[in-house]
Amino acid sequence: MIRLSPQLRTAIQRTTVPVLILLSAVVIVLGKADRMIFDSLRAATADSVAPTLEALAGPLAAVGDAVGSVRGFIGTYAENHRLVQENQRLLAWQQTALNLAAENRKLRGLVKAVPERAVSYVTARVIANSGGAYVRTVMIDAGINQHLARGQAAITGEGLVGRLTQVAARASQVLLITDLNSRIPVVIDSSHTNAVLAGDNSERPRLIYLSNADAVKVGDRVVTSGIGGVFPPGLPVGIVSAIDAGGPRVEPFVELSQLGYVMIVDYGLSAGLPQPIPFTARRARRGAHRAAADVAAP
Amino acid sequence: MALKVFDTPALPRVNGGIARLLPIATTALAALISILPLKIPGYAALTPAFTLMAAYHWTIYRPDLLPPLALFALGVAEDLVVGAPVGVTALLLLLVYSVVLSYRRYFVNRTFPFVWSGFTILTMSAMLGLWAVYSMLDLTLLSIRNTIFRGVLTIAIFPVASFLLGRTQRAMMGAG
Repeated sequence: MIRLSPQLRTAIQRTTVPVLILLSAVVIVLGKADRMIFDSLRAATADSVAPTLEALAGPLAAVGDAVGSVRGFIGTYAENHRLVQENQRLLAWQQTALNLAAENRKLRGLVKAVPERAVSYVTARVIANSGGAYVRTVMIDAGINQHLARGQAAITGEGLVGRLTQVAARASQVLLITDLNSRIPVVIDSSHTNAVLAGDNSERPRLIYLSNADAVKVGDRVVTSGIGGVFPPGLPVGIVSAIDAGGPRVEPFVELSQLGYVMIVDYGLSAGLPQPIPFTARRARRGAHRAAADVAAP
Repeated sequence: MALKVFDTPALPRVNGGIARLLPIATTALAALISILPLKIPGYAALTPAFTLMAAYHWTIYRPDLLPPLALFALGVAEDLVVGAPVGVTALLLLLVYSVVLSYRRYFVNRTFPFVWSGFTILTMSAMLGLWAVYSMLDLTLLSIRNTIFRGVLTIAIFPVASFLLGRTQRAMMGAG
């Protein structure tokens, strides 16, 4: 280590904190100006902390399961009663579904509909949660190694969870539908009203840009509309739970605070999402635009 | 000596290499704990600011072993991992560090309620600051409800964190 004079050391110590505070502010502004600037750094960090988080997620889940099984044991009788009734109801529905599926196949054949795309699933464990009031993301332990790509939908058996915003080699980040930055084109099942599901960091996202606001009622089912080509149509999202001054609010089908595993679905649609443009390429392109403008305006 | 910067009684020297890393290690652990996916309804939004507690504790008791560069790196790493705007947590931790350091002489060797009230004021200001920064970055007036609850929860849990940190500190560094 280099020997420094005491005066110089003191001077360095006195200036470190202000310099770092300034640096943080500069980093915030840079990140705001260019969202993609820290992308590779984010990916590298995600990859390096993923093993630790994975190691912790196992025992943590075990504790959660233990608590859950005790709770389940206490409620077994009531739960069993409820399930018997539900099973009777569902058996009737199963018949209806089978009939409809058969009829649907026949009709698809008649109108020569384009067959639906093959779908592939990757199941991943949730290994981190964004603590704090301003960001709603989770980290999962799968990434490029499992052929995940930015924009793919994350779902559970109940419905839509969010979409992949950041994919590193062995970990990825899912932007939940409740995040302030999440916007999902949806349709209200019963009235075919198109809308955009906009997160606002609360538990229940809002519906905005409704094509027919009066047709929305509490209890309506909300599914993805497939408009925009990022998500396939028909993924269950939630139920309209209230209509307040800010518009209808949707209660997601998925209990987002209880996520243990999510499925990442590749519908072959993620190409619909514009890929981030690297900073340098963007500068070059801007330069090209300017050059073109110079040529156009003699 | 680094300690001459602070006009408080000199801190006992810690020779053990591992003990010297304790402040950084526990602050990193606090950052890690705050992103663990606990399946408690509504917990994610109200996760107590564990990193803030560790930073406060060590700035009061062992600022010599908590280099600002480590706080900066931890803050940046946390933002990168959770997908938050990079730099916000680093800025918060460094501001806390510099504010606490300048009032440090009023906090050392004082009773716990006094230290706790200092933390209360600090946490509430930090939460309001965070709310202001995020509102500016998102260009909307965000709901402040969760921010306040999170602050209250952080303050409520601080005694436990402080007890654990103090115990570890005494066990590994001796009285200090």
